[in-house]
Amino acid sequence: MSIDRRSFLFGASGIAALTIAGCGGVRQQTSPTASSGAGSVTTQGFGKPDDVGQARIDAFKKAHPNITVRINEGDFDPQQFLSSVASGNPSDLVYLERGLIGTYAAKGALQPLDDLISELDIDTEQYRGPAMRQVTVDDKVYGIPEFYNTRNILINGKAMREAGLSPQDLSTTDWNKLHANAAKLYQAKGAKISRIGFDPKLPEFLPLWAKANGADLVNSDGSPNLDDPKTAEALAFAYSLISEQGGWSKFKAFRDTWDIFGAGNAFVKNQAVAFPWEGWYVNVLVQASPNLDLQSVPFTDRQGKPISFCDGSAWALPKGAKNAKAAVQWMKTMTATETWMQAGAARAATVAKNKSMFTGLWTANVEADHQVQDKYVKPSGRAGFDQAVSHYYASTETAFAVNSSKAGSEIKTAWTDAVNRVLAGRQAPEQAMRQAQSEASKAYSALK
Amino acid sequence: MTKTLTDKSIERAARSAAGRQPAGPRRNWREIRAAYGFLSPWIIGFVVFTTAPMLISLYLSFTDYDQINAPNYVGTQNYQQLMSDPKVALALKNTLIYAVMYVPAAMAVALGLAMVLNRVGRAAGFFRTVFYLPVMTPTVAAAALFLLLLNGQKGLINRSLMLIGVHGPNWTTDSAWIKPGLALTMLWGLGGTVVIYLAALQQVPKDLYEAAQLDGAGSFNRFRRITLPMISGALFFTMIVLTINSLQMFDQAYTMFFGGQQQSTYANDAALFYVIYLFQQAFGVLHMGYASALAWLLFGIILLITAVQVRLSKRFVYYEGDR
Amino acid sequence: MTATQPVRGAGIEPEPAGEPLDVPPTAKARTSGGGLSLRRLPYLAVLLLASVLFLYPFLWLISASLKPRTEVFDNSLLPRVWRWANYSDVWSYAPVLQWVTNSVVVALTAAVTVTISSALVAFGFAYFRFPLRNLLFGLVLATMMLPGAATMIPVYLIWHRIGLTGTQVPLWAQNLFGSAFYIFLLRQFFLSLPREYFEAARVDGCSFFGLFWRIALPLSRPALVVVLVFEIQASWTDLLRPLIYLQDPNLFTLPRGLKAVIDTFGNGGEQHWEIIMAASLIATVPLIVLFAFAQRHIMNGIASQGRKG
Repeated sequence: MSIDRRSFLFGASGIAALTIAGCGGVRQQTSPTASSGAGSVTTQGFGKPDDVGQARIDAFKKAHPNITVRINEGDFDPQQFLSSVASGNPSDLVYLERGLIGTYAAKGALQPLDDLISELDIDTEQYRGPAMRQVTVDDKVYGIPEFYNTRNILINGKAMREAGLSPQDLSTTDWNKLHANAAKLYQAKGAKISRIGFDPKLPEFLPLWAKANGADLVNSDGSPNLDDPKTAEALAFAYSLISEQGGWSKFKAFRDTWDIFGAGNAFVKNQAVAFPWEGWYVNVLVQASPNLDLQSVPFTDRQGKPISFCDGSAWALPKGAKNAKAAVQWMKTMTATETWMQAGAARAATVAKNKSMFTGLWTANVEADHQVQDKYVKPSGRAGFDQAVSHYYASTETAFAVNSSKAGSEIKTAWTDAVNRVLAGRQAPEQAMRQAQSEASKAYSALK
Repeated sequence: MTKTLTDKSIERAARSAAGRQPAGPRRNWREIRAAYGFLSPWIIGFVVFTTAPMLISLYLSFTDYDQINAPNYVGTQNYQQLMSDPKVALALKNTLIYAVMYVPAAMAVALGLAMVLNRVGRAAGFFRTVFYLPVMTPTVAAAALFLLLLNGQKGLINRSLMLIGVHGPNWTTDSAWIKPGLALTMLWGLGGTVVIYLAALQQVPKDLYEAAQLDGAGSFNRFRRITLPMISGALFFTMIVLTINSLQMFDQAYTMFFGGQQQSTYANDAALFYVIYLFQQAFGVLHMGYASALAWLLFGIILLITAVQVRLSKRFVYYEGDR
Repeated sequence: MTATQPVRGAGIEPEPAGEPLDVPPTAKARTSGGGLSLRRLPYLAVLLLASVLFLYPFLWLISASLKPRTEVFDNSLLPRVWRWANYSDVWSYAPVLQWVTNSVVVALTAAVTVTISSALVAFGFAYFRFPLRNLLFGLVLATMMLPGAATMIPVYLIWHRIGLTGTQVPLWAQNLFGSAFYIFLLRQFFLSLPREYFEAARVDGCSFFGLFWRIALPLSRPALVVVLVFEIQASWTDLLRPLIYLQDPNLFTLPRGLKAVIDTFGNGGEQHWEIIMAASLIATVPLIVLFAFAQRHIMNGIASQGRKG
């Protein structure tokens, strides 16, 4: 099984030292070449690659035989990253959420890439605007964006039909209707939930709910904007969906038991009817449960206009990285159009082998996405899946990103904590968001 | 394994040391040199890893320090911030509630088990081993295991409770039940305390009970007037150790509810223990100056609580040597 | 040890007294009346019930580690499908073998260094008379009260200054300087050794170090084993220090690695609980084996903390 989510696998056999140079025992002389910065680079935060990741690593290996790459597997861990920077012994590359870049740049834990970008002639125009804005701080570029996740609503078609509903009935346009339908689809026996009707995905999707109600969590200048009444209203609504369906503690405990990646996933076992999720989950579903009756509908604002918020990972250069040039060369190659095309070919091969379908690649590289889509995304005969894929392609063009901020991480912590306080029943939405705003403002002004 | 000791043993040690004091001003310099030679590892360690750190920590607590840039003196600002930081208050509250919940429960359950063990003779050895086995489970593994067992919807514990008609709470997701759930996890590992109590019980002279029985004392009275005083030293010792350990709760709560980017999304305030907050401030966001102030506050609190416990013990703990 | 004997050795007997201590004499005396008496049955029933409560989570852990993901929450003790592949999956998803090796190396180094250094210091306190002895020993005992969290940050900064953060050295190197609890334990034991042995050796011209190395240590095997085993256990289960000091996954010890597995596969991640259970069991088994071999010493070491002396 191969999954878009890069963190799925942890690492082949311990030291997944991908000795990219001199494979097969041929000792290679590390002759530094001026253009790419020879030597070796290590990564941090990049889990064991799947087929798509591996194809791109292979592409890099072919293009730059004089650079050795060592992948340190494991998810990005802020504490681990900061310690390695502080101890003066960081990896050459770090792979992290774009939303964190502002904070780490402001802390001085990351280096700006502008000089190397122009030296290595990287065309930053090829990357999607929202993604580039996320990695830009004070007009300096601190990261090269890689994937591009957007959200739409995925629906368990069978359960939906049995309840006499259509996908539109689970759209986020009409909140009252959505609330009623979620309650209708929710099932429980006594204190035990057996099915969730609609999961608003709190706290992580608050930016989406706020935007649907016309509010941004972060202003375009990077200052926090958490106490907008429209945000509190959106939170109150999303929270009402959860309280309607058993309340947070039961809701979350039930969700914790799901087999998200397996053949017994929540749709197959009729444990869930609908939730917004990232596009890679379509690939998970088609691999794990190819016969699923999948339905989908775009996430919309209250006027019915499709919106989606995007995020994704980026490559960045830690302060003190020893081989900066080779590291940026890696970033360039890993995100280049031709590299993505090779990744597309690898995924197509996997799909053919599994007699499955190609569910698309969503990257921060516009041209790459178009080429991959044109070449590989074909009608599969699974209408529901095809439609879901087209929804994700559509939302990729319209998605917004949470504005970047030097206090990005602190702001996110503030609103996440606020939502958790609301979920735990400790605070009302307005009160929680007001407290979040004051925490975030403090962090933001401390950086000035 | 705990490395803490009672005031009683300190006294005892001091007493026994006093007994061996040389009887005059005669000094054997060769011996003294040799003695300090033997002691030198500890003396070096004490200076480098205890005294110096305490001083460094004190200094840092008056600075703004992120390890990437040089420390910046800020006066008492960290201590002021600490007073107004709602998370400090929350973490303190959580930690104290947990300690108040766990310590008496652990002592009561362990004492109960030890008393029963004390009555079954030879079989005690076997059961003692059984109770001790969970102690050999690494804390992280135990936490992962209990995260599943405690799941409110499908976990083993609630399913078992259903068998006796009880609807169990959502231990891992309901703020009100997270600390009791953690206490339950910790109770699984109380075998060490059972072993200590059993050893203490086995030391109580049997003739005391026989004499009391002749005097017509009922079993409750025998427990209150003989057992409790005779094992009060062990009770006191475990109380101090369990309290200090509870106030430094980290492994289980951190494993179950913190760490990793994704997991932090669902961080539950109810599981924010003091040392977790300290760790996050120090190593998660590199607020090392502020975290040093937090560390000093913790040190002060533990010192205070221990002092109170020692004082109370003077009234309740029975020492053979006192009579 | 008997109740009447003065307890000097903190509950641990010198080597020559080879009486098995599993069942303390008082208990033995009570059982001498004969096998199972009816009076004990209710107590045995209580203990059996408690044993089930203590053992069942273990069995559940073993069982869950052998189930397919979908069945983990089924709670039946016997998996419907035995999925041994969970174990091969763990090895391929995470460098568990490397972590086991790291843990073994760190735990053994930590245990050996702390035992030797603590014994040295303890012998210094036990054998010699010298000025400031009481004060210094009081300080040793006082450091036991010091919460580890209080010095966590500066100690980290010291290792950072030396340039050893990011290595496994800080996980054990402090043990070179002895540890207060073990010093106390060993000192009590050394005090219980007959002083005549040492006097005689001195007369024969034995050096002070010789007294320690050739007389005190060989006679103190039970106490040394207790210290070794306690420290192996402490080191093996330590999470906080590896969290602070290790960044490279290839250097992780088992608890740190297990935590990484939980973060990746557990809550908020993929929820592959069967993988996590398998990894948890792998982390637990070595300690259980250690326990099987050193049970008597562990029990005595722990019991000594609560015995009155």
